[in-house]
Amino acid sequence: MSFVVWAALAIAGLVIGPIVAHLLHLGRAREREFPPAALVPHHRSTARERSRLEDFPLLALRSALIIGLALLGAMPLVRCDRLALGRTSGASVAFALVLDDSGSMRATLQSGKTRWELAKTGAEQLLRSAREGDAVTIVLAGRPARIALAPTTDLAAAEHALDELAVSDRATDLPASVDLARAALRPLPQRDHRLIVLSDLADEPVADGSPEASVPLAELAAKVDDCAITGVERRGMRVTAGVACSSDGAAQGRTVELVVAADSVRDVGARDAGALRSAGDVVAHAELSPRRGEQSLTLAVPKNAGTLNARLTGTDACRHDDEAPVSEESTASVVGVVADPTRAAAKTGGPTVVEQALQALGETWVVRPLPFVPDDEKGLDGVGALVIDDPPGFSPEARASLARFLARGGVAAGLLGPRSAATALGWTLEPFARGAARWEEAHGLQVDTGSLAWLGPEAASLGSIARRGRTRLDGMEISGALVNGRWTDGMPLLLERPAGRGLVVTVGLPASLDESDLALRPGFLALLDQLLRQASQREGGRRTAAGGAWTFPSANRVSVDGPEGAIAVSREPSDEACADRGARPGCGDTILRAVANVRGRYIVHIDGATETRIATLDPAEVLAEPRAPGKEGRSEGAQGTARVGVSRELSLVLVALFTAELAVRLFRKWKGQRAVPSPSAIANP
Amino acid sequence: MKTRFAERVGSLDWGKLAPLKLRARAVAEGVFAGAHRSRRRGPGVEFGGHRSYVPGDDLRFLDRRATMRHGKLLVRQFETETDRGLRLVVDASRSMAYRSEGAPGAKLAFAALVGAALCRVALASADTVSLDWIGGTGTTPLPAMGGIEAFDRLTEILAAVEPSGDALDESALLDSALDAVARRSRRGTAIVFLSDFIDLPEGAAERLVALSSGGRVVVGVRVLDPAEVSFPFVGPVLLRASEGTASVETDGGSARAGYLAALAAKMAGYRDRLVEQGGRFVEVTTADDPVLVVQGVLAAIGGPAA
Repeated sequence: MSFVVWAALAIAGLVIGPIVAHLLHLGRAREREFPPAALVPHHRSTARERSRLEDFPLLALRSALIIGLALLGAMPLVRCDRLALGRTSGASVAFALVLDDSGSMRATLQSGKTRWELAKTGAEQLLRSAREGDAVTIVLAGRPARIALAPTTDLAAAEHALDELAVSDRATDLPASVDLARAALRPLPQRDHRLIVLSDLADEPVADGSPEASVPLAELAAKVDDCAITGVERRGMRVTAGVACSSDGAAQGRTVELVVAADSVRDVGARDAGALRSAGDVVAHAELSPRRGEQSLTLAVPKNAGTLNARLTGTDACRHDDEAPVSEESTASVVGVVADPTRAAAKTGGPTVVEQALQALGETWVVRPLPFVPDDEKGLDGVGALVIDDPPGFSPEARASLARFLARGGVAAGLLGPRSAATALGWTLEPFARGAARWEEAHGLQVDTGSLAWLGPEAASLGSIARRGRTRLDGMEISGALVNGRWTDGMPLLLERPAGRGLVVTVGLPASLDESDLALRPGFLALLDQLLRQASQREGGRRTAAGGAWTFPSANRVSVDGPEGAIAVSREPSDEACADRGARPGCGDTILRAVANVRGRYIVHIDGATETRIATLDPAEVLAEPRAPGKEGRSEGAQGTARVGVSRELSLVLVALFTAELAVRLFRKWKGQRAVPSPSAIANP
Repeated sequence: MKTRFAERVGSLDWGKLAPLKLRARAVAEGVFAGAHRSRRRGPGVEFGGHRSYVPGDDLRFLDRRATMRHGKLLVRQFETETDRGLRLVVDASRSMAYRSEGAPGAKLAFAALVGAALCRVALASADTVSLDWIGGTGTTPLPAMGGIEAFDRLTEILAAVEPSGDALDESALLDSALDAVARRSRRGTAIVFLSDFIDLPEGAAERLVALSSGGRVVVGVRVLDPAEVSFPFVGPVLLRASEGTASVETDGGSARAGYLAALAAKMAGYRDRLVEQGGRFVEVTTADDPVLVVQGVLAAIGGPAA
């Protein structure tokens, strides 16, 4: 046997010895003669428990002393050290701590600690090794990368800021965070700049640059077995669950279950008491395929199953991501299109040009053709944006439905054409325009592309639209409408008006190819894109990746309750930039914004209305394999960080333990003396 | 375990209380040793209050008005001066051998010292003394006698005693002692019962109270070790009684309050019964000053107050 084995056995003996002695001591009470023993109440269990409680501190102290001594003696063999800033000279150092707060950092390593705990401990050790005059900045690598602490020489503030940090379920954006850290270090006067990355490096490699990145905690890159539910969506009677597994073993023998959520019982009970289920009931399950990567499982759910959660059976390195809320169908982003296929479709057939244009914008939005504007509000459930081509007016019921749609944050665009000029009796064009529309054939007029500069370079494509006429919008503006696009004669082409929490966009040209080629122009795509962006902002993307911001334009009062309690809602300037020529809608406004850091179900209260939003986990957080520090780690040492022993601290701890044992003994002796009353005080009253 | 205790009580631990004769003399000298006024309540002139009727009381002293007012038979008491004898009953059972760490001596040693000092005081007043035992080995009863020889004989008997016997199981030990003292006690006799009152058999209080009839004054002197009134144990401890088979494993800190309450209740039972019948109950520990204890007992009997 090697020396290490003998040393380990010796340490084990030293630790076990006091424990055995302690237990033996516990098992035998001191025997005394006491004539009035019959009057003494029996307190055997209490006595032993009390003894155990009273003796435990001493036992713990002695064991800690022995372990400390053993560690101190075994320092050459046992690594017990901490991170510190390596210094080549006495000059001050400016260093950036890039702390990865992404979802992959929640994984528990073999040491029993999570990557985040290790990274944060490392950051604290590095901060403690900083001296007066050193500058520090903290950058978080969860997407989007952000500065948690601007460069400062106030080390106490830095420690406080570090204490406040918590891991999230964001995706990782290591390159951006490193760039951000380098940019933050650049203006600092210290000559010695350091960039310390505390991450599992499960992302793109860090780009070369100055200063070089140092990755002192290689143990963070240890691979773990983890499966996560990345998203669960319900469509009718089916639920589709996305699961990502980091390895074959992680998926082996595991099942996805759909369980009734705790807050579901009340909702279901309100609708159908007969379908009442208790929280935690499993309504469906499906086995995972034992393979690495993403897989999609479809499960059938019974009627009125209520609000559901999906969960994975079994265990892995991260329990946090084994359960996720099921997105209701209504939370999917849907854009509704009301267009006459006979007029707005291409000659070659297929969907209408508006639908094709929307589909060309990507798969973020689901396009749903509607035959007409629903009279019932339920017909617009789940619809975030609505495009209506050349409407022949709206019935009172449809107007009421539209008003409610706008009030809850929907964005509606009306492309007014010749049919809009011939509204039926009792029908109007509200909420898009006031009064009757006038369709006129005006030759030689062009769109003032300058007024549409906010659409970007695509606006230029609208300068030469081939058309047969236009809808005159002058005099039709409803109060509060802004003219965001004009004809060359100054007549309005495009109106925008906030309504409720939503937005109404009115365009003076239809999408029908018979009337104009507007729908074929890139500027039309830009216009629709802007429309959907507005809708996204208002609807907030009811199912977004963790870390994404929810904005609430036109909302006055917003509160968000998430899985970890209420999250902060801040009022910030709108993202809309104010261009020199023309202004985008919302330019200069402030809007309410909230960020969902962790995955889960969020209950959002907007001006009295309540809706549910879901934050999901990026599958890359599970699938991306951590990388051992390569070239990033080579600067460890003089240029970055160093591991220093803790012998000094350990010695101080030993002295403190010894002092504590003495104090405990003295206290117990004093306490024992106090507890015994003076015999003379009781003897003879 | 029982054998080990028996070995320990084989010879009484006198501690600082030896030698008995000299110590008792010194104690007695510290006490007022002159002729004492016997505050005997009984037939006389000066009204001395009421007490409950016990069989044997003179029916002439029944107070009808007080009886009708309180619903029970009450007799009137009167004070008179008379000479009175002292009858000592000393508990020498095994429990009296107990001496805790730091105590000046065993309980029996202290009881013997107090008894001897009382004897000396009584003899100095020309009263007669007698001695009877509960349990004990080598315990020779001392018949009622007076004179200086009585003190010498009594101290010799007290010094030779070895605690033994289990009064709890052997109720005959108490009965024989009380029968003997009852036979020796005339009206006006003071009976001093020195015991720890811990291991007396059931019904002991009633039998003791019965002695107070016929104009006798019974003074119970409860002698305990300081440890028995303070319960100094801390942590887990296995306690075995000296008499009987009681054995308790307990925690010192947790059991203290309960024990003290039980002890107080037990002693209150004896005290109340004695006081109700005109007796006295004096509670002392072996750590107390013997002079003060003797003065207290004398005051209880009816001598000069300490």
